[in-house]
Amino acid sequence: MLSYIQLEFIKLKRSKIFILTILGAIFPSFLLFLAEEFGEFSETITFQTFLTNVNMYMSVIFAILLFTIIISYLFGREYNEHTLKTILTAPTSRGKFILSKYLMFLVWILIITVVSSISAVLFGYATGATGLTANIVLDSFKELLYCNILLFLSFSPLVFISLLITNMIPAMIGGAVLTFTNMIVESHKYGIYFPWSSPYLIASGEIAQYTNNYTISHMIILITFLIGLTVSYLYFTKKDIPL
Amino acid sequence: MSNNLYICKKYFTFVKNILHFDIKNYCAQLHTKAEKITARGYFMTEYVIETKNLTKKYKDKTVVDNINMNVEKGKIYGLLGKNGAGKTTTMCMLLNLASKTGGEILLFNNAPNQETYRKIGSIIETPGFYENLTAEENLKIISKIRKNYSKERINEILELVSLDNEKNKKYRDYSLGMKQRLGIASAIMHKPDLLILDEPINGLDPIGIKEIRDLLKKLSIENNTTILISSHILSEIENIADVIGIIDNGKLITELNKDELYNKLNKSVDFEVSDTGKAQTILEKIGMQEHIDYQIVKIKERENIRLYTNLNLRDSINEIFVRNGIKVQKINLTEENLEEFFTRIISTESEITA
Repeated sequence: MLSYIQLEFIKLKRSKIFILTILGAIFPSFLLFLAEEFGEFSETITFQTFLTNVNMYMSVIFAILLFTIIISYLFGREYNEHTLKTILTAPTSRGKFILSKYLMFLVWILIITVVSSISAVLFGYATGATGLTANIVLDSFKELLYCNILLFLSFSPLVFISLLITNMIPAMIGGAVLTFTNMIVESHKYGIYFPWSSPYLIASGEIAQYTNNYTISHMIILITFLIGLTVSYLYFTKKDIPL
Repeated sequence: MSNNLYICKKYFTFVKNILHFDIKNYCAQLHTKAEKITARGYFMTEYVIETKNLTKKYKDKTVVDNINMNVEKGKIYGLLGKNGAGKTTTMCMLLNLASKTGGEILLFNNAPNQETYRKIGSIIETPGFYENLTAEENLKIISKIRKNYSKERINEILELVSLDNEKNKKYRDYSLGMKQRLGIASAIMHKPDLLILDEPINGLDPIGIKEIRDLLKKLSIENNTTILISSHILSEIENIADVIGIIDNGKLITELNKDELYNKLNKSVDFEVSDTGKAQTILEKIGMQEHIDYQIVKIKERENIRLYTNLNLRDSINEIFVRNGIKVQKINLTEENLEEFFTRIISTESEITA
């Protein structure tokens, strides 16, 4: 499986989408930096607040859009560039191939998490945020990592959709719809049942404002993952490969 | 006396040695033959691809209909058919890119598995490679999957398909011909035992077509590579294939080797005569029937007698015509070409189906 990940990295060489997603990971920190520069914050901001804000914007808005683009590119490009027939006849097991794509999606998410956290620290420093400690940075990183891993799980139905509709435009529209829905339900009591907004609520601890029972939200995410994984796996392994 | 005895003894030993050697040698030969018979089925043809009633249906439409195809080891098998005849779907099923609705596929005498597919190289329709990568990087990915990555081999194969000067160019900047060459490079890079090529010469210029044709023939002769090649271009199949399978409406109508094909091609003799009416009367008198044994055809505003049967008697018929005062200006022996044969076979099949 590791060699497949290595191959996925070769495929990303000179890829604009990869660079775009890295820039997307930096964007929330950059926006907050601009907000500070234009005097949006009346007081000197602390590192904790800066990093919390970055995590919130990242998890609720930007991650949804970025992950949709990543999924659509990772899975859809094999159809759009007609490479499936070449790779599968090399030969590669279809099951291994789709699972390696899932794994690559996770690796990509981890890269985004690291980039987002590093950029948050750098832009926080540039804004003159106070109270920088290793613990604050580490806690913020853990929170974003946990949230993104939960988001990775809840994105499996979108993998199925990207196998079904290989074009990137519907994926972008889907991503935008999810983002807006997230923005609406995130601060609502129903946010804990929505598998794309609950990861942030769980990871940040804000879920405690709505319920003490975290299991339901975790179960919803897990069930969403299993349904998405099963359907996408079965679809990919059984369906004829378009030429 | 002793001298004679010595000679006799020497002669006896010599004969004994020869006999001993011959017997041993003969036994060894027999043993090898017996091994061959048991291991390979000495008198049986070895097939690399065998399909038994292979069928593919999409809802109500049957696109591949009970195909029984046999591709012999080391041969070039040309699958000939119109667009949409079922060639690509058949190949996709052989490569596990499409599932079969019915029937059986045997590759290398076994039900196909991952190991079987490792011995196959293929191109289905237009080649598919990563647009942002160079030829070298694309081949690197494929060879890494095949677990036989070698930079030297990649360079060697790119040189073979004349892409060595373009190896650092991104795939998206390649012309259609260059893409096709890269597809061929990828298919033959791992020295496969079987090549499945669907319209591999699409987009190639005449020189490129000749180069690829020569390369495939070389692979077949030197490496004993079995090749299944499909095309709708008759001349291409005729030039390259040892065996031709004609497919139409999902059905494999016929499988012929070159000799069988030439025997099946319709032949006729055209007599350009001064008086077709008189010639017709003579032919009727010697027992020939119009539309069965001969026909009157118009060629360039002139009526000719076209003879379909008894072609070996054309000298005698000519003699009879001349004796009866008919001037014979020209006698032409014509043979149906592959295109005419293909059209005839397809239309006969359509009439039967209708």
